[in-house]
Formats: sequence, C-alpha cells, structure tokens
Amino acid sequence: MDSELITRKQFSAAMVVSLLSPLLRLMPQTAVCFAGNGAWLSFLPATVPLALLGAILASFRRHMRPGEGMGGLILRWLGPVFGRLALLLFAGWFLFYGGFILRSGAERLVSTIYPSSGQGMFAAVTIVLALAVALGDLRAAARSAVIFRGVLVGALALVIALSVPNMDLARLLPVSAKDAPSIALGGLPLASVGAVAAGFSFLYGYADLPKSGRWTALPLGLLLVLGGLICASVLAVFGPELTATLSYPFFVMIRSISLGDMVPRIEAVVIAAWVGTDFMLCVGLLRCAHEALRPVFGYPKPDGRPMLDLGAGRFLLWMEGAAVFAISFFFDMPPWLLRQWSDQYIPLASDCVLYGGFLLLWLVTLPRRKKETSRGV
Amino acid sequence: MRRFAIIIYVCLLLAVQGGCGALSGDRKDVERLLLIQTMGLDSVDGQLEMSVSSGMGPEETPALVMSTQANGIEDAIARLQNFSPENQLFYAHVQYLLLGEDAARDMLDGVIQWVDRSPTLRMDTDMLVVKGLAKDAVVGASQEATDVTQRLASLDRQARANGWTMHTLREVAAATAGGDGALCLAVQTAPTKGAIFTESQQADAVVPAGYAVLDENGLVGFLDPEASVGAEILTGDPAGFLLTVSGDTLEVVAGTAEIKGEFDGSGAPAAIQVRCGIDTGVLEKSGDRDMSPEALEAALSDTIKRWVTAALDAAQETGCDFLGLKGAVLDTAARRDAYGYRWRELFPALPVTVEVDGRVDRSYDLGE
Repeated sequence: MDSELITRKQFSAAMVVSLLSPLLRLMPQTAVCFAGNGAWLSFLPATVPLALLGAILASFRRHMRPGEGMGGLILRWLGPVFGRLALLLFAGWFLFYGGFILRSGAERLVSTIYPSSGQGMFAAVTIVLALAVALGDLRAAARSAVIFRGVLVGALALVIALSVPNMDLARLLPVSAKDAPSIALGGLPLASVGAVAAGFSFLYGYADLPKSGRWTALPLGLLLVLGGLICASVLAVFGPELTATLSYPFFVMIRSISLGDMVPRIEAVVIAAWVGTDFMLCVGLLRCAHEALRPVFGYPKPDGRPMLDLGAGRFLLWMEGAAVFAISFFFDMPPWLLRQWSDQYIPLASDCVLYGGFLLLWLVTLPRRKKETSRGV
Repeated sequence: MRRFAIIIYVCLLLAVQGGCGALSGDRKDVERLLLIQTMGLDSVDGQLEMSVSSGMGPEETPALVMSTQANGIEDAIARLQNFSPENQLFYAHVQYLLLGEDAARDMLDGVIQWVDRSPTLRMDTDMLVVKGLAKDAVVGASQEATDVTQRLASLDRQARANGWTMHTLREVAAATAGGDGALCLAVQTAPTKGAIFTESQQADAVVPAGYAVLDENGLVGFLDPEASVGAEILTGDPAGFLLTVSGDTLEVVAGTAEIKGEFDGSGAPAAIQVRCGIDTGVLEKSGDRDMSPEALEAALSDTIKRWVTAALDAAQETGCDFLGLKGAVLDTAARRDAYGYRWRELFPALPVTVEVDGRVDRSYDLGE
C-alpha cells in the first residue's frame, strides 16, 4: 500500500463528514413534505438510486490508472474537446455548489445562534480556512475528517439519546403499504445528498481504494441510517405537521436539550461543531473543482508544495476559492428564497449533474469500456 | 512570509481572547446578565403586553418584575431592555410562558412562530394559560420575599395532586399543528391574605384551575376541574392524585382508557365506546363507615364516569378533538382515508357510551 495515499477509512470519513452538511440542511423537512410521518423510513428507498450510482462509479473506477481520478479518466475517454467541456461543467458545478454551501452554512449558523450577526463574516472565515486546507496536503484534511466524524456522529447520537424523553413514538405511526409511494418520494432528498459523494470520485487519485465499489456501502449506509434517525427523532418529538412548519426542526429540538442543571443548553456547541461539516465539504468541493480543472490545463497534482507556492497550477486553487466566495454572494437572498434554492433547485441541479452526468458518461463510454475490458486493461 | 502569517495568527488569537463578542460587538457580560425566568403575554386592545420576572437573585435579592405594551414580542423585549439599562435581560432560560386568556385566543400561532425563530426561547418551555391576564399572575405573584417563578415551580406538583399535567409549548404546538386540539394547564391567581400572615409573602398565589383547550386558531375554552380530570384519564397517565368519593379520600394509583369506534354497515363511524379502569386506594376514611367496598367502588365508577363524560361532551360541543378520539376510532388506514378529513364534522354527532370500572384497594376496614 502506498503510504502517501489517503486510506479507505479516511476517505470514507471525509465523505460522511462532508455529506452531513447537506443531510442536516435537507432532513427531515423535505422528506416530511413528501412522506409525512413515514419520512423516517425514506432512507430505505434512497438506497436504490445510490446503489445504481455506486455501481456506475465502480465500473469507472475499474478503468482508472494508478493515481488517476475521475478528471483524468473523463479526459482520456471523451477526448480533448468533449472531455474538457465535461470537466468544465463538473468544475463549474463544484464551485457553484461550494458557493451555496458557504452561504447556506452561514445562514444556518446566523439564524440559529447569532441572529444579530452578518453572514458575510462567517462565509469569509469558512472559505479562508477551507482554502488554507485545500492548499495543503489533502491527507491532512482526510485525517482530520476521521476525528470530525467521531465528534459529529457522537454529537448526533447524544442529541438523539437526550431527546428520547420528549419523543412520542406514536407520532411515527401509522404507516401502511399505501404510504409506499410517498415514502419512495421522501427518499429523493437523501438520494440527492448521497449523490454528492459521487463528486468525490474526482479525488480517487489521492486515495488507496478498492476497485470494487462495495467499500462505499459503509459510509453511505451510515449516512442513510443517520438520516433515518434524525427524521425519526424529530418526527417523534414534533409530529409531521409541526416539523413541516418549523424553520430548522432539528435545531429547535436541540435547543430544548439540557444536561441537568449543570449544562442547561448545549446547542451552541453542537451547532458550532456542525460548521465543521460545511468546512469539510467546502475543502472537498474546492479540491474536486481543482481536480476537474487540472487536467483541462494539464497541471500536475498540487500536493507536496509550500502553501503559498502558486506554481504547478496552484494559483487555480486561489481562483477557485475566490470564485466560491464570489458565488456565495449570489445566494445573498431572503431566507425563504434561500430555502427554496436549498430544498428544490440545488438538489435538482445536483441530481442532474451527478446522476445525469455520470449516467450519460457511462452510456457514451460503454463501447470504450467494453473494448478496454476485452483487452484486459 | 511564515513569520508574517504567525504574527497575523497571534493577533487574531489575541483579538478573540475575550470571546467572539469582542469582535462582533454582541458581547454579553455575565456580571450584568439578568436571567428572565417567567414571561407573560397578554393581548390588550390589539396590542401585546409582555410581563417578565427574573428569578430571585443571589442573597435573596427580590426578583425584577417588569411589564410593557408593544407591537410585538421583539419590540417588547427591546422596550423592557430600555427600562433596565444596568442589566442585560437574557431570555434563554425562560422556564414558564404564561399566556393570558386573550393572548391564547389571538396570538398562539404568532408565539409558536416566534419561538421557532428565536434563538433564545425553547420549545420545551412550560406553557400555562392564565384565566384573566398573565400580567396579574406575573406581577401579582411577586413580592419582596417571593416571586412568580418560585410559585410556578411547585405548580406541576400541585397540578398532579389535582389530576392534571403541565404541558410544554412543544406539546401544544405539535397537537394543534396536527389538527387535533391540545390541552394546556390553566391557572388563576388567588389572594393569600387571610391564609398567609407573613406580610412579605402575601403575594397572590398562582393555582391550577383545570385545562384550557386550544386548537390551531388559539384558545377554544376551558374545561372545568372535573372535566379536566376526565380528560386526563382519557389522554394522560392518571396517577397520584386525590379524589373525594362519598366523603372518603381516595388516591388514584393507576388509570387506563380504551377508546373504540362502532361502525355501521357502510363502514362509517356510528358511535364511540369508552372503557376506563381506575385503581385507587383509600387514603382517608371520613364518609359513611358502613359503606361496603362494593358500594364505594360503584360510587367511584359513577364519579369517574361523570367526569369522563363531561370531557367527552366538551370535545363534542367545541368540535375540538383534544382527546385524540380520531386516532383511536379510525384505527385502520382505510378508515383514516375515508373519514379522517371529515372527522371534525363527524365526531361531534357520534353517540358516546362510557363504562368505568372503579376499583378500591386498601378497603379492608370498610363495611365492617
């Protein structure tokens, strides 16, 4: 095993931590809007599209050369013109999504904890930190993700456990077979969240990952279970109707938690920890964008150089950071409109780019893959 | 370059040593924080009136009690802060939210929305509806040596002794959002002069007064104390309260309620059957010493039946299903789909039969 590479465990941790950001933004409300009190089961249907996407990515992974990510593979398969176009499309999406994450993370923090603060400051601090990490060694970020994952999953488990006294499990029922179509629709937000992991395939060149896609089952399974648990706990505390009307039901639930008289409120600590998810996703998106742009211009991997070195295409990372920060101002909009973007337009666009993009790529490269397989490449 | 980065980093660290408030200007000085523990809201001539009380301070310093009229809750908070510039009023530890009768009627939805958006108040704050004005309870129950928060702290126990339960804003919001009604403990003020003779403690008492009934539009009405016990038997966990039957004091040990629907040939709900079981123990024998245990059990069953029927009647009269009858009667997916959306029209007209099985333990010395 190459010790310079990110391990499977670290890569999985980075995926889970990054994906917690959209998960906590979308769940449970969007699932409840589709599935009502059956939303807590919506993680089950989400496994189907995610398994399909995982199979597609695994078929790509089998054809990647050592050290090659999705960027190199796309350029190699689609050629210099269409390959570059496809990579520019993916890079554009990563930057746009990064800008949205920056703003929505700031909005969430400001509206739940610091209502008298401006969002710009939080966005600026996040992008500066994310850029600093993206300019460094990607392995360091992946190692820190292992710690973040422990802290965040632990915090979520603690929050859910401490909310048990407020839960009324009758609010999760009744669910009957007739609810299956709505529960299936309720799985769409989770499927969108999980698909973000497909973007991380651009970073495969930095990781020591198996050729088979089965390793993704564990991180995505953990994410889906967390999504189901979050839904179940919020629904059991508030019921489906109130959940649908609250701004941030999971945060409202956390606000009611106390650890006896000693620690009457814990939400600031928990929510501040969640900024880590936005930060980690921003780092991931910056590097994904870079891995999409790097082959377009023929630059080598940026790791192993001083942080402020602009050579080897590293200036692109600065430009990507600036672009993400600039795009975040596009989302400087009223909260209701940002919610609309968050719940509808962004998941839809994400699905189009990730599910649609990779499916299209899979279809158009089918003859090429058959040829490579028959040659034993 | 590295040295420059280190200097910037150290400067940033120094700047935030006093907390993030040092940078944002939203600084909260712990020495100046005054924790508001009880908040009362009234609707007076279309305006909001907010009354607040801090708890008793350290070394028994009296609670700060204030009240103001404003256009909204945030406006009232700003005005109250102006009244007390030496303190920074802090609402994150509000324990009790009192809604005056009119506020509960007009402002419930607004209050729920405000708590949802406010980063300070909790959804799990205990909520009470005051018969009359919340201001009377907040101001009237506070005096030099006592304050409304202290009085309310013992209210949950008092309420339980009467057979009622205190509910939180979350419970009320969840029930009303679901289209069902909600129960919320009602309180009223009671003068203590003549009962308490220590002058510094003669502030008004806040006493439980049964349940208020709320739906998504606000206060629907009040249940009388007996109907409130009936409602608790049907919806809650009735235990530990005392009741007097034929002059004897009984302690309720446990209670069960089973609600079922009867359906006509077409499958439409035709009637509601309610069966209750109440286990009690004799706590004090003051009534007829010759009464047999069977007679006492029959009297207990009659009493509970009257109270449960009163609660059911109130639900049907108001058209507000605060007893959760819909979930119990429409117990299959097919029934919910067929009649759930019309339940509010249907259930007030359904005949209800109530059966109560009252049991009295510790009755060994009765009828001997």
